[in-house]
Order: sequence, then C-alpha cells, then structure tokens
Amino acid sequence: MDMNMVAREASQVMAPSINSLPRPVPPKATKKPKKAVLFFEVEILDAKTREKLCFLDKVEPNATIAEIKNLFTKSHPQWYAARQSLRLDPKGKSLKDEDILQNLPVGTTATLYFRDLGAQISWVTVFLTEYAGPLLIYLLFYFRVPFIYGHKYDFTSSRHTVVHLACICHSFHYIKRLLETLFVHRFSHGTMPLRNIFKNCTYYWGFAAWMAYYINHPLYTPPTYGGQQVKLALAIFALCQLGNFSIHIALRNLRPAGSKTRKIPYPTKNPFTWLFLLVSCPNYTYEVGSWIGFAIMTQCLPVALFTLVGFIQMTIWAKGKHRSYLKEFRDYPPLRSPIIPFIL
Amino acid sequence: MVFTARFLLPPPAPTPRVSPWPRLITLTPPPPSSYPLLGRAHSASSCLLPGQVEIGILDMAAAATAVSSTTKGNGTSGRSGPSEASGPRKKKGPGPLATAYLVIYNVVMTAGWLVIAVGLVRAYLAKGSYHSLYFSIEKPLKFFQTGALLEILHCAIGIVPSSVVLTSFQVMSRVFLIWAVTHSVKEVQSEDSVLLFVIAWTVTEIIRYSFYTFSLLNHLPYIIKWARYTLFIVLYPMGVSGELLTIYAALPFVRQANLYSISLPNKYNFSFDYYAFLILIMISYIPLFPQLYLHMIHQRRKVLSHPEEQKKYE
Repeated sequence: MDMNMVAREASQVMAPSINSLPRPVPPKATKKPKKAVLFFEVEILDAKTREKLCFLDKVEPNATIAEIKNLFTKSHPQWYAARQSLRLDPKGKSLKDEDILQNLPVGTTATLYFRDLGAQISWVTVFLTEYAGPLLIYLLFYFRVPFIYGHKYDFTSSRHTVVHLACICHSFHYIKRLLETLFVHRFSHGTMPLRNIFKNCTYYWGFAAWMAYYINHPLYTPPTYGGQQVKLALAIFALCQLGNFSIHIALRNLRPAGSKTRKIPYPTKNPFTWLFLLVSCPNYTYEVGSWIGFAIMTQCLPVALFTLVGFIQMTIWAKGKHRSYLKEFRDYPPLRSPIIPFIL
Repeated sequence: MVFTARFLLPPPAPTPRVSPWPRLITLTPPPPSSYPLLGRAHSASSCLLPGQVEIGILDMAAAATAVSSTTKGNGTSGRSGPSEASGPRKKKGPGPLATAYLVIYNVVMTAGWLVIAVGLVRAYLAKGSYHSLYFSIEKPLKFFQTGALLEILHCAIGIVPSSVVLTSFQVMSRVFLIWAVTHSVKEVQSEDSVLLFVIAWTVTEIIRYSFYTFSLLNHLPYIIKWARYTLFIVLYPMGVSGELLTIYAALPFVRQANLYSISLPNKYNFSFDYYAFLILIMISYIPLFPQLYLHMIHQRRKVLSHPEEQKKYE
C-alpha cells in the first residue's frame, strides 16, 4: 500500500476522540448535524453522614430534579421519589422537582445531599380518610347505635328538630369537603409524612365523636332562644358554607390543571369572593364562620371548643400563607389581613 | 547455659517514653465564652435538656411530643405546605437588663426552694417523724411553684430560648398537681406520697435554678452540672411515684364529692368527669415516662462525657 492510499484512508476515517467530547460528525445530505452535548454527573451523598449513596453519570443537562429522583430510586428502591429531599447544601433548602440541573449553581459534577423525609402518603388519601371519619362517626351517634347511650335509647330518635338539623349540617359539611377533595382542590404537594394521617385523623375523628355524643344525647338541651337562635345560626352556617365553596372555586381557577403556579387571588363576580379585598385566606374565615354558626345552632360547648382549636390552627396557617404571599409578590394588596379583616 | 544466664541478668532498663497525651491541666471545663446560657436553653425543635424534665413527670408529655415529633419535611402541619428544615440557629443572648432580671429571678427561686428544703428539715426535727410535713411548707411550696408560671412568660417574650408550648406544659403539670390535686383534695395532704414528690421537686429545683444562675453569670461549677444531669436518675422516678400515688389516693374522694365534675343535662350540653380525667392523666404517665427518662439518660451521656462539646448542650 503506498502513502497516497494511506493518506486517503486516513482522511476518510475519523481520528478517535482525544477528549471526552463526542466528535463532530461531518454533515451528510440526509442527516442534521448533532450538537455537542455535555453530560453532567450527579453525585448523591447522605446529608447527615456524607456517605456516597449514588453516582449518576451521563445525566442530561436539562434533566429536572424529578428525573434525578427517579434515577436515584432505581439504585435505592426503598426511597421512592416522594420521600427524597435533595439539596445543594446539607443544611439548606430542598430543591424543587421542577428545577433544572443546568440552571443550578453546580459544576458539571453536581453534588446533591439527600435526606429521607420518611414514609409519605398522598394528600388526597389523608383528606379523604380524615373527612370520611367524622361523616360516619357522627351518624353512628345520630342513629344512637348500641353501646353509646343506655340500652333503652338504642336506635331511638331525638325529639328536637335542631338535632336533626345539626346532623344535616354536619353531614353536608363533610360531604362537601370530600367532594372538594376529589373534584375541586389543586394541591401544591403530592404527599405529606405518613405520621400526619394518624395525627389528623385523631383530631378530626376524636372531636367529631365528642361533639356528636352531646348533640345526640338523650339528655340534650336545645338552644336557650329556641327557633330564633337556630334560624339565625343556620343562616350564618349556610352563608359561610357557600362562601367557603366560592373561595375554593376561585382558588382552583387560579391554577391550571396539573400545574403548581401561584398567583395572587382577586375578587371575582361572585360576591362571596369580595372578602379577598380584606383577607388573604377567606376560605379559613368562612370556615370559622360556619363552625361558629354550628356552635350557636347546637349551643354545645364541645362544638365551641372545636371551633376555637380550629380557629387557632387556621390562623397559624393563614399567617403563614399571608407571609409567603408578601414575600413572593411585590404588588400584594396592602389592605389584606391574614384571616380576620383588620384584626388578625 | 546461655539460656539460664538470660534469666540471671537484670532486665534491661525501660527506655524513657514521653507521654503522647497532653497533660490534663484543669479538671473543670473552661467557662463558656459564648453568650450565657439562659433558662431552659435548648436547641431547635426536638432536643430537650434533662433539666427541663426534672420538674415533673407530667412535663413528659410535652417533651415526648417534642422528642418524637419531627417537624421537618413537607406538609407537617398537614396544610401549610413545605416547611424548610431549620438551618443553623443563631444564638441571640438577652440584653443586659434581661440577663439581670433572669439572674434575680433564678436566685429568688433557688432561695425559695431552699426555704422549702429548710422548712422540711426543721419540721422533721420538730415533729420527730416524716409524716404530714406538707403542712409546714404548704405556703412557700404553692408560692414558688406557682411563680414558675413566669417562665412561660420568659419564653413568650423571648428572653429565654425555649418553646412556649413545652414550658407551659411542664409548668402547668406541676401547678396542676399542687392546686388541682393536693390543694383541692384535702384528705391527701397527710399522705406520705406528697412528701415523696415534694422532696424530689425541691432537690431538683434547687439544682436547676442554681444551674441557670451560674450559667447566666458564665461561671458554672462542674458539680452543679454533674448534679443536674445525674441526680435525675433517682429523683425522677421518685417524683413520678409520689405524683402517681397522690393522684391515686385522691381518687375516692373525688368520686365521693364529684369534685370539678359537671353532668348532663345542662344548658351548654357538656359534661366532665374529673375522676375519669385523673385516671387518664395517670395512664398518660405510662408511655411518657420511659421515653423521657431514656432521653435524659442519652443527654447525660452526651453532656458529661464530652467536655469539648459541652458548649453545644449548655
């Protein structure tokens, strides 16, 4: 073989790549030129022990944290994506699923710290369980199922109208909540820690049983101001239920299906949403209002205590929500209070 | 021959060795140079210093919820969305005025509990027996134990870096035993179980308040720290036994008098059975006591065996 032939062959065969970058392929008539792609490497360490848990190479630069979590699950199947918290700094904030690898302040070898969030359960499951409980439990007391009250009261019915009305209101409230969970709410998060379901269910089911016991008791005393009190309370309850539902719909319409966008809620044509002018979380305001109505209707101290505890919890949530609105949006309406207009 | 000769020769002189370990110069740890320790200093969410538990077993519930609950990860409140894991906490000391006030408070409390201790000893010597000593220290006991309610305020206004909820729970449990059990059910006041928890509380509180005093003044003698983290091993079960026996002794009298109980029918459709409530309280000791006791044992191991890490737990 003479030198000419060698030279010709050499020019036709591509030299092997010296560095790790893939060689550019000469353009052919039928193919588009491939861009040079720089793959990332991702190293996942345990946030507490700094132990190397996983090394991922050939990660696309535009991979999201969600995709990295799925890759991590392949090597550690016990840590499904929902219970992974990946962060750039062991003591820092968790990275969001939507974050893109190349937009993070990392080099081509990214070091992520992993923290196990513990067993997770979906929000929908928790909501359905914690709301189905009170619905059923209240009915057990309403129908005076055996072993709750004395034997002679088994399956009897109260002679007070307000007791029947209370059952309708209470059941309506929880059916509404269940339907909203299934069809209305658009959750920001898929899951929460598993132990929350025990905590939440104890709270809801416990209080439901406690209230229902007294309202449906054979020795129940109807409200002091009779029919007037019940009518007023029913009106408050109904209006607040409608208000609460209107707010849930308004909040749902702020966010397209499947997205996690956050926008400032504003009043709509629905008069119940006009409370947005004064309050950041009118859904909580209306919820407290409903329970105040129910407490007045039944004139039952356990209901009042349940309302109080719920109010305290919702105030904490409303304040947190209000604070995050203020932090996120520069143009957030200054007139708004977290839960009670002008006061709280 | 050579073999035996080796045994006859004196052993070679040992080569002098320089000890590789640094000589221990002081036995007591150097005073902490960071901000003074305040009240129930405890870090972040779930760590609890033993001192916080020494004041009574009913405190356990709060501490147990702190120990067992983990406020990290997303959706812990169930609704509020993800709460970020707490970053490194910055220790902000109280101002000089607050420190002065806290020193006075802790000194007064130490003195108060010393008064109770002395009162007990004098009454014992005067009476010649240890029965019914409660009556001789009833007033200072009520005054100083109720005064501990101020500690809730201290947490609330921020001069003491402890959780308000935890502190409330602990103080309220003590106040509950003093007023709602011992004071309310006069028949138990002559019980020996009362003496049991009074002694446990007295010793614990004297050590605890002097611990805080010295810490605030940046001059904590090791013996106080040792006492605080060691004596609980005996005092804690002692206090718990006293409390449980007292509540148990009060039960029949509560039932008899229907004390603090409301029954149906009434205008507010509410009922409360204090007897059942007391039994529930007693049952709550079962899960809480072992948890807290073990937690304190672990804390002790950490605090007393790592002198260089003591700053973290002070």
